[in-house]
Amino acid sequence: MAEKKKGRLTNVLDYLKHDDPFSKGVAFCPGCGLELLLRFIPRVLGNDIVITGTPSCSAPVLLGQNRQSWHTLSYFGTLMTGAAANATGLVRYYKKAGIDNTVVCFNGDGTANDIGFGNLSGAAERNEPFIYICYDNEGYMNTGIQKSGTTPYGATTTTTPYGTVHRGKNLRRMNLGLKMAMNKIPYTATATLSDLEDLAKKLLKAKKAKERGFCFLHVFAPCPTGWGADPADTIDICRQAVKSNYFPLWEAENGKIRMTKTVKKPKPVSSYTKMMKKFNHMTEKDMKILQEDVEYEYCLLGGLSVLEAECQLPVSAEDGGEKL
Amino acid sequence: MSSNQFFNHQGPWSDATEPLMCTDTGDWRTKRPVVDREKCIFCGFCAIYCPVQVMEMKADYFEPDLGFCKGCGICAKECPKNAITMVSEGEFVS
Repeated sequence: MAEKKKGRLTNVLDYLKHDDPFSKGVAFCPGCGLELLLRFIPRVLGNDIVITGTPSCSAPVLLGQNRQSWHTLSYFGTLMTGAAANATGLVRYYKKAGIDNTVVCFNGDGTANDIGFGNLSGAAERNEPFIYICYDNEGYMNTGIQKSGTTPYGATTTTTPYGTVHRGKNLRRMNLGLKMAMNKIPYTATATLSDLEDLAKKLLKAKKAKERGFCFLHVFAPCPTGWGADPADTIDICRQAVKSNYFPLWEAENGKIRMTKTVKKPKPVSSYTKMMKKFNHMTEKDMKILQEDVEYEYCLLGGLSVLEAECQLPVSAEDGGEKL
Repeated sequence: MSSNQFFNHQGPWSDATEPLMCTDTGDWRTKRPVVDREKCIFCGFCAIYCPVQVMEMKADYFEPDLGFCKGCGICAKECPKNAITMVSEGEFVS
């Protein structure tokens, strides 16, 4: 037999230094983006992190059932209205007790952008030293696919159906990542599952920046069940979202935005929307509004990244963005 | 099963020494990934993108753990050499 041509092992495996704390068979849908993200985080950051979370798709697995658990991590379950506030309490306790560990607040977009935004904003203002990770599946998937603030224009959910009166969601989506970057917190980043090396780098950067204060990660995690997509397409959906500038990848240190991946020739947003059923009904007029929305947000991001690189901010990165 | 199957330390509840819960998610599968060992170039993309992380590294190829593979087909889609094909479970019924 001829010698087999071997490729190079992907760099991502170098970042997975720790054991997988989850049991092999956990109750997530096939092709779930959340499951890949959830298994990835402790393997990069270490198994000694403390996760706080809320009722969401992640809760049945993270919280455990009856007297048993699905994983060996430390988990603190809170209400959706107080996720960041509870994480603040944990951080302050650990500081008082002299224990050095990483608190990761792991929530969906419903908690981060809608229900728990008040205390997320408060934690960002107080610059509490923990990592807040929002996995964005663009809706309340666990309770039956209702629309949230990050659901894009035109998407069908059970509360924004398509019919004779309504044509999916008639409001534009909110840009959560940019909203948090504007708070000038030590580290903000967006990431997605198609570029896992980028995600691992951003997680490690957030762990380091956590010593200076609040870190926020906005991770795009598709939901094949809720979006009506083929489970096999999960990673490809992420890739198309990046290539069409629907979900640009960037990071911001102390509010200074830097693009981590720029697309030379962005594809039309239809290359992304055709992969799922929730945009099936979209007419050309609807697509145009969505395309304009995507382009506007990308222009805004590009403008800010140029502007803030030139401007002298009152708090520079060298002195660590300390509280005044 | 991961190496730390049992809790080593006292949990918040009294009987925290019970083993981890584990569902036989392999039962959900309608199609199973079959790896062509000749075509496999050992790049590891199937292993990193697998949501369940069932792809096990062997000598010069990757092999799925069929006890837990949910059959989503991400590995077959992401394989750069198309070395993985999704075959219907019906063909394996004897």
